[in-house]
Amino acid sequence: MNSDFINNIGLTHYLVLAAMLFVTGMAGVLFRRNVIVLLMSIELMLNSVNLTFVAFSKFLGILDGHIMVFFVMTIAAAEAAVGLALAVTIFKRFNEVNIRFFEHLKG
Amino acid sequence: MTADAFLFWFLAIVTLVSGLSVILNSNPIYSALCLAMTMVGVSALFVTLNAYFIAGVQLIVYAGAVMVLFVMVIMLFDLKKDLQTFARGMFTGGVKLASVGLIAGLVVGAIKSAELFTEKVADNPVTTGNGMESTKALGQILFTKYIFGFEALGVLLLVIAVGAVALARSKGGTHEQ
Repeated sequence: MNSDFINNIGLTHYLVLAAMLFVTGMAGVLFRRNVIVLLMSIELMLNSVNLTFVAFSKFLGILDGHIMVFFVMTIAAAEAAVGLALAVTIFKRFNEVNIRFFEHLKG
Repeated sequence: MTADAFLFWFLAIVTLVSGLSVILNSNPIYSALCLAMTMVGVSALFVTLNAYFIAGVQLIVYAGAVMVLFVMVIMLFDLKKDLQTFARGMFTGGVKLASVGLIAGLVVGAIKSAELFTEKVADNPVTTGNGMESTKALGQILFTKYIFGFEALGVLLLVIAVGAVALARSKGGTHEQ
């Protein structure tokens, strides 16, 4: 491993880190069965995208990426609130948070 | 190794390890703890990218409000340990693993093969000054160029607040009996 890769932190480093975080969140959404952990994994994916925005914003010298991160954060918080309210409603009805039991959602 | 490089690698390792433990822990409360750690790590990465205001908002909104919401709901459910943490099925599991690996390879390959410019742009509003200037410029373009998005976000938050209360009051089910 050459020392230039370790010492010179550039845009690529941040982008690869964000991609790895995104893939971690995606694996969580695909493999886990708990609704709350699914929502947490979605938050992880949104965070990695925020990291990409801020990295591009720094290395391009444009502030618009920060604005986009601001919007994404607000929408992520709103999404978590609604998702958790739905989870509480479903839990009251089924007493279970495993999505295996949600095939009976007939209203 | 310079201080900047050491900080980046340290934060990258902390963020990735805690992000992985979010999906590997079978107890949801440990997952929430690891998620909070990930949020703090990402916030510190924002500081290394000179986004001081965004880093503060990240700490307040994610590590504060959203995590409190998650932990409250977990306490409400009184979950001990998931009986069936991970999805079953060898075939579907293999397909999921293949798709995750495929998207990881595609993204990293695209980043590696792209010709990314590395020279710093002169007169960069993000890196000039001690952080006050970038926060001031952020406020200025938020309330001039992006004022419509800001107002739309306010309407969205109102709808979300009303909707969450309505969901919490409902008895479950979509049809009136």
